[in-house]
Amino acid sequence: MKLIEARGLTKEFRIFSRSEGVMGAFRDLFHRKYRVLRAVDEIDFAVDRGEMVGYIGANGAGKSTTIKMLTGILVPTAGTVTVNGYVPHKQRESYTKGIGVVFGQRSQLWWDIAVIESFKLLRRIYDVPRADFNRRLQQFDDILGLSSFLNLPVRKLSLGQRMRCDLAAALLHNPAILFLDEPTIGLDVLAKSKIREFLKEINNEFKTTVILTTHDLGDIEALCPRVAIIDQGKMLYDGLVDNLFSQWGQDKLEDIVKRIYMGQKPEPGLAGGGVSLV
Amino acid sequence: MNMHQYRPSGPLARYLTIFMHYLAQYAKIKMAYRWDFFVHIFTEFLQQSVSLIFILIIFSKVPAIQGWTRDQVLFIYGFFLVPFGIYSGFFNHLFDVPEKYVLQGEFDRILLRPINAWYQVVVETMKPELLVSMIVGIIIMIYSGSNMNLVPVWWDIPLAVILVIGAALVYAGVYTFLASLGFWSEGNLGLMPMVYNLSQYGRYPMTIYRGPVRFMLTWILPFAFVGFYPATILMHRYEYLGYALLTPVVGIVCFVIAYRVWAAGIRRYRGTGS
Repeated sequence: MKLIEARGLTKEFRIFSRSEGVMGAFRDLFHRKYRVLRAVDEIDFAVDRGEMVGYIGANGAGKSTTIKMLTGILVPTAGTVTVNGYVPHKQRESYTKGIGVVFGQRSQLWWDIAVIESFKLLRRIYDVPRADFNRRLQQFDDILGLSSFLNLPVRKLSLGQRMRCDLAAALLHNPAILFLDEPTIGLDVLAKSKIREFLKEINNEFKTTVILTTHDLGDIEALCPRVAIIDQGKMLYDGLVDNLFSQWGQDKLEDIVKRIYMGQKPEPGLAGGGVSLV
Repeated sequence: MNMHQYRPSGPLARYLTIFMHYLAQYAKIKMAYRWDFFVHIFTEFLQQSVSLIFILIIFSKVPAIQGWTRDQVLFIYGFFLVPFGIYSGFFNHLFDVPEKYVLQGEFDRILLRPINAWYQVVVETMKPELLVSMIVGIIIMIYSGSNMNLVPVWWDIPLAVILVIGAALVYAGVYTFLASLGFWSEGNLGLMPMVYNLSQYGRYPMTIYRGPVRFMLTWILPFAFVGFYPATILMHRYEYLGYALLTPVVGIVCFVIAYRVWAAGIRRYRGTGS
C-alpha cells in the first residue's frame, strides 16, 4: 500500500467579496456576495515510503492548501485521502504522532522559551522515550550544530538557526513522513546547503518520506528525484525530474518550470516521451 | 510502522504530565519577569477589594436588600470568587482564539500536535497565578459565614467542590462557545467584554433583577449558576434548592454544547494564506 494516497482531492474556499464604499458595506450587512475559489482541484497523488517528492507551483497555486489537507489541518471539500493508514482530518490526534511538519514562514516552537525546553515539551507531547530523545538530539546536533543556541529562546534566533531548530523539532519523534512547506525560504546559501544535507541524511538513515514545497528549484535538484507541479489547483506534472529534462530537451530546470507555469507544452518528437503531462 | 509503540501510562496521566510541563515552563517565563508577576497578582487583589468595598459601603446605608443581609451578599460574593478564580486562571484567555489563533493562523500549530486542541489552547494561555481569587473567596466565605453564625455540616465540603466544578464548567462552556465563533466570524466579535460584565451579575442575589434578566442569567447565559444559586445552598438557605442542585447539570450541559460547537468550528478552520 502507498504511504500517501489522495484521490480527487479538492478544496474550495468561499470568499466573501466586499462591496465598495460605505453604502456597499451597509449592503453587505444584509446581503453578502460570495465567490467560490477552488484552491485544489481534484488532484490524485500517491507517494511510497522513503520517497522524497518536491511539490512546486507558482504563488497561490494550491501547494500549501494541499499540504494542509495532507497534514489534517484542513478538511477537504471533496475526494479521499489516507496517509500512513489514517484519514488525517478525521483521526488527527493519532495521525499527527507519525508525521513531522515544518512551515518555513512560521515557527512551530514556543516563542518565549529556550529551544531545549521546547524540545523537552515536545518529547512529552509525542511520548518519546528519554533514551531515543537524547540519541536523536545528539545526532541532529552533530549535523545541524544546534548546541550553541539550544539555551536561547526562539525569538532570539536568526532565521537559519530557527529553521534548523524547527527541523530538529519536527523529527524528534521519528515520524514516518516529514512535510516541509518552503523550508529554505529566506536562507543564505550556506544555511540552505546545510539543511539539504541534513534532509538527505535523514531520508537515507530513517527512510523518512519527505514532501517538500519550495520556490527554490535548487532544493528539488539537490533532493528530489520526483517532482509534482501544480497550477491553479490542478496537477500539471507528476513524475521524475530526469524525464522533464528529456521531454523538454532543455538542461535548466528553471526554464522548464517557467514554461510549464506559462502553460506551454513540450515540443513533440523529443526523446523520453514515455511520461506525459497529466 | 515507523512510529514508536511506547505507552507507559494512560491518556489522563499523559495529559497531566503535559500540564505539569507547561506549568513549569510558564513559571520559568514568569520568574524571568518577576515584577510583572507580582503586579499581576496585586492588581487582581485590588480589583477584588474594590468590589468588596462596594458591597460594604452599600450595606453601611441599608440593613438588607430584598431580604438579603450584608453577610449573605458577602458570602455569595465569596463563593463566586472560587469558580471565578478557575475561570480567570484557565478559561479567560479562550478569547484569544478568534484573533490570535484563528485569524493569525496559530491554530495550524495546534492542529499538528497529537493532543486535544482545546486542551492545548487552555494550557498555552493559562494564567494560573489568578487562582489566588479562590483563596480570597474562601476567606470571605469563612468571614461572612461566621458572622451569620453558619454551622458547617459534613456535606458542605464535598457539595462545595461539586458546585464549584459545575460553576467552572459554566464559564468554560460560555467562553469555549464564544471562542468557537471565531471559526465562523473572522476575528473577534467584541462580545467578550459584554459577556464578562454579564458574568459579574452572577454574584448578586437574583431577586434584585427583573424577570427577563433573571431568566436570561438562569437559562441562556447561565451565570446565576456561577455565584448566587450554588451559594445559597452552602449558606443553608433552601428556597433555591432546586436551582442550586442543578448547578453541575447546567455546567455539564453548557460545556458539552459548547464543545460540540468548538469541534464543528475546527472542521471549518481554514488557516491563513500561503
